Amino acid sequence: MSTTSQKHRDFVAEPMGDKPVTALSGIGEVLGKKLEEQGFDKAFAVLGQYLLLRKDGELFTEWLKDTSGANSRNAASCSQCLREWCDSFL
Amino acid sequence: MTTMRIKSDQEIRELLDGYGIKHGPVVESTRHLYEKKLKEAMVKDKVTVTKPSPDRTFYREEREEVSYVNYRTPVRSEWPSGDGEPYMRSRPEYSDRDLVDEKLYSRSRPEYSSGRQYVDEPHVYNTQSSSSSYSKPTPVVKPGGGVVKAERKASSGRLIPLWIQFLVFLIVAGFLYFLFTSMESAESSPFNRIQ
Repeated sequence: MSTTSQKHRDFVAEPMGDKPVTALSGIGEVLGKKLEEQGFDKAFAVLGQYLLLRKDGELFTEWLKDTSGANSRNAASCSQCLREWCDSFL
Repeated sequence: MTTMRIKSDQEIRELLDGYGIKHGPVVESTRHLYEKKLKEAMVKDKVTVTKPSPDRTFYREEREEVSYVNYRTPVRSEWPSGDGEPYMRSRPEYSDRDLVDEKLYSRSRPEYSSGRQYVDEPHVYNTQSSSSSYSKPTPVVKPGGGVVKAERKASSGRLIPLWIQFLVFLIVAGFLYFLFTSMESAESSPFNRIQ
């Protein structure tokens, strides 16, 4: 099993609905706040951005780093989380 | 830096396509990211343009071919008229092979400048068969045969600068010569002084 956290497994297990952005794997309080300031207050908003970037992991991690100041690890974690969610539900 | 901002979404899209950057729709939320990517791509482009190596080698080869052609024409006038015609007939064929040789010897021009003169003479003698004109130069450049192999490696990859290869070759040759002359064996060495 890959090194996915419980948070990750919880997120990809079900449709995200109205979950807050902090429910995403890799997004904690600090990053969540920064994203909310940018207007991304819900997980589906970040999902929207992921889809706009054509589900490209690299582009998305770059965007996330620029927007929220996330480091590579968190950004990659969030990207992988969204990708697996899309694989199951999109 | 701010020139990116004034471009329309469409223009940014076209620039991204021009650089071959995979992208999604250019909207407000994605625009900043794509502007950044375009800036990086432009910087990278400037860096690759200023790199002269691939273009310069082409130039050098072309210049060498042209200069070699110029070298040939005065030689032609020197030879008697009897040889003039067959010289002309096989000249284009030989020049084709010379172009091939040029590419091999393009780097070693200073070394082979003396060898070229030898190349011309056998060519005149072998006007009958142009095939042997290619084989003739090989015994002439035999002493440098090892260099040719090194040349091929250099021209294909050019990972190591040429002068370094020459230097290494000279060092190895000098070292071997030193070893050879310092041997006390009874082999008849051509380098021994005649007593």
